[in-house]
Amino acid sequence: MPRTRLAAVLAAATLIALTGCGANAGGSNNANNSGTDFPKKGKTIELIVSFSSGGAVDTAARLVQPILEKELGTNVEVVNKPGAGGQIGYTQLTSAKPDGYTIGATGSPSVVVSPLDPARGAKYTRSSFQPLGRQVIDPTVIAVQPDSPYKTLKELLDAAKAKPKSMTASTTGLQTGEHFALAQLQETTGAEFAPVHFSEGASQATTAFLGKHVDILVANVSDVTDLNKQGKVRVLGVMTAERAPSLPDVPTFKEAGYDIEAGTVRGYSAPAGLPDAVAKKLEAALKKAIEDPTVVKKMEDLGLQTSYLSGADYAQFWAGQEDDFKKVLPLVTKKD
Amino acid sequence: MDTLNELIGGFAAALTWQNLIFAFLGCLLGTIIGVLPGIGPVAGVALLIPLTMNLDATGAIIMLCAIFYGTAYGGTITSVLLNTPGEAASAITTIDGYAMTKIGKAGAALTIAAVGSFVGGTIATLGLVAAAKPLGELGLLVGPPEFFALMVVGISLLVALAGKSMVKALISGALGLLISMVGIDPVAGAPRFTFGSDNLLDGVSFVAVIVGVFGLSEILSYRKDTSASAVHAPGLRSLLPTGTEWRRSAPSMARGTGIGFGLGLIPGMTGSVSSLLAYGAEKKFSKHRNQLGKGAVEGVAGPETANNAHANAALIPLFTLGIPASPTIAVLMGAFLQQGLTPGPTLFTEHSEIAWAIIASLFIGNLLLLLLNVPLVGLWTSILRVPAPILTALILLFMVIGAYTINFNVFDVFVMIGFGLLGLALRHLDIPLAPMVLTLVLGPLMERSLRESLEISQGDFGIFLNRPISMVLIAIGVLIILSPLLKLRKPQALNEDPET
Repeated sequence: MPRTRLAAVLAAATLIALTGCGANAGGSNNANNSGTDFPKKGKTIELIVSFSSGGAVDTAARLVQPILEKELGTNVEVVNKPGAGGQIGYTQLTSAKPDGYTIGATGSPSVVVSPLDPARGAKYTRSSFQPLGRQVIDPTVIAVQPDSPYKTLKELLDAAKAKPKSMTASTTGLQTGEHFALAQLQETTGAEFAPVHFSEGASQATTAFLGKHVDILVANVSDVTDLNKQGKVRVLGVMTAERAPSLPDVPTFKEAGYDIEAGTVRGYSAPAGLPDAVAKKLEAALKKAIEDPTVVKKMEDLGLQTSYLSGADYAQFWAGQEDDFKKVLPLVTKKD
Repeated sequence: MDTLNELIGGFAAALTWQNLIFAFLGCLLGTIIGVLPGIGPVAGVALLIPLTMNLDATGAIIMLCAIFYGTAYGGTITSVLLNTPGEAASAITTIDGYAMTKIGKAGAALTIAAVGSFVGGTIATLGLVAAAKPLGELGLLVGPPEFFALMVVGISLLVALAGKSMVKALISGALGLLISMVGIDPVAGAPRFTFGSDNLLDGVSFVAVIVGVFGLSEILSYRKDTSASAVHAPGLRSLLPTGTEWRRSAPSMARGTGIGFGLGLIPGMTGSVSSLLAYGAEKKFSKHRNQLGKGAVEGVAGPETANNAHANAALIPLFTLGIPASPTIAVLMGAFLQQGLTPGPTLFTEHSEIAWAIIASLFIGNLLLLLLNVPLVGLWTSILRVPAPILTALILLFMVIGAYTINFNVFDVFVMIGFGLLGLALRHLDIPLAPMVLTLVLGPLMERSLRESLEISQGDFGIFLNRPISMVLIAIGVLIILSPLLKLRKPQALNEDPET
């Protein structure tokens, strides 16, 4: 029965054809050096988020994604590559072809610090990235369980001073913003917590905190804004010069008498070596997306203050941060 | 009420055109895989993962789940028509299914099997709906130590139930853990076992490994002659069972659902145990037990219902506890992880919409399977007329393309081939493959939860025994591993089950 046999071969061939269809993303085989025809229609741009879905980095990326699509006229796909406090995603980003079809969300201190500690064996340095634009500064906060006996920052820090390491505190990974904040806290106040590194990101850290598996939640303003409204956390202090608009009742560390400022700074970068024309297009699209009023508003609702910097300014800021973090790095390198 | 609302929300998400098409394609491809002898469900699901890699998470998982239970049905068709089971769980159906074909009732057998699969699958999915909320709410109770202990239980169950020798199962499990260690250290960031190669920084590609170990090695070790002589697709008229046949199958379907659902919940049990037990139950309880073996409809209805109830029930421990109950589910879990979803109690707190959309699509998928299979029986049988060498070549081609398209990297093709050869060697040494794939999937999760736990306790291993939930779980794990010493016997059927 030749006809049925043909039908069957066709069915099998469809299987193979389908693989090809599913595989529209990620291909980077026809990099164009001038980049004038970037982006090609129908070619997907991958936006790598180095933390798990649901965290602030991920949310911000997903907010700018539709506007980027509109501005660039092609698909932009957010891809989560969590692990090792961002290092896995950053490695992937910097080892991609600099053709504009792979960009990534970069957050400091993780992206700035991970190449500084030789023990991490990072494959990239600051010069492996081409910064495209800064989006937000998200200050660090310290929070306790709603039924915790500690009502103020002073009570908590005094207790931690009296019994060092008696309380556990979450971070989003070794040498991430939260880890630095804990180190700075210990340096200036003498209060010592036992850090627990949730290397996949803030959503894992908050889940563990809500399940009462860690005592202290060290996070960013955006992570606790919603939880604070629901009464699921008691935020004791925010590490900025001024109070955070989304947490008006929470005192700053300065007000409480501790001179500490810390936070996470997030933006977008490409692997270094982007053709100029491509970089310009991406930068312009990102500026539009980051400053888009609806995006800014939505970010605000999440407790995120938009603070745009152009690619060049973001690069300069990055270099400055690198100098700062080099000084405090010994505080967060593993001694054991 | 809450559950109902969320389920309705799930239906709304699953009923988009896009997701319906994914569910349909999944059922179709799954059935084809089930029909093809020589490719079991594990290899089949593994083979098709690359297809879904670039879809959004919901669509990808919907399609994979559809593939998964499509295979559970597809195997039946060849059992009934050719006396050759497409997969182990349908083996028992050959007895009465083929006997029915010989007396000209093939259509009735296939229809009863399709309806039975639908009934079993739908009821098991209802069980998932009922269990999801209460178990999901336990999510916050499960901290890193409890999560680690859950993984221990999952691994010890599969190790204890797989293959003939526990030592060999442990060897296989340890291999999987070792492979999962390759790549950047998830906490400290240092590259491990990468031998300086950039290709290994992100670890060994899970999909390439699975396609190699299960798919390629299965093709390489497949020698059976498939040339099927004279298969006649049943005409449409003979598709419909008679009223008596319907009446006779109803109690068998009920028994099959109970058995499949119960056993599907137990990690380590495979679908074949369910279908064998269901056949046994028919032999004991059916009113027409004397006709079994001579083409009794009960001999098809019972095992086939059990098979699909099992396949769907096995998703319950995955969704609610994060424990993969069988190698196929472990592969499915790997696909979840690729999509950035960690199955388990936190799935319903962190990704509730996706979880409910998938559950809703299970209902839809079961219905699609029914609508798809009855009219298309003719096409399925014609696939078997493709000469085996051509079919094998097509499948090999598909594997190479699949491995390449994961990252558009030729390295992954070599990984796939290398692991195919490893899989072949392990098969020859009689080392079961299932524990390896399970630990490969669970390894990174175990490592993470172990390290987080020890940071919470500041290095004290007592944390696993101080907390009641994790203590009980660890105790269960230890008991399972010690079970051979305690002379607890596992079901005979598992020893001969190729899926384990």
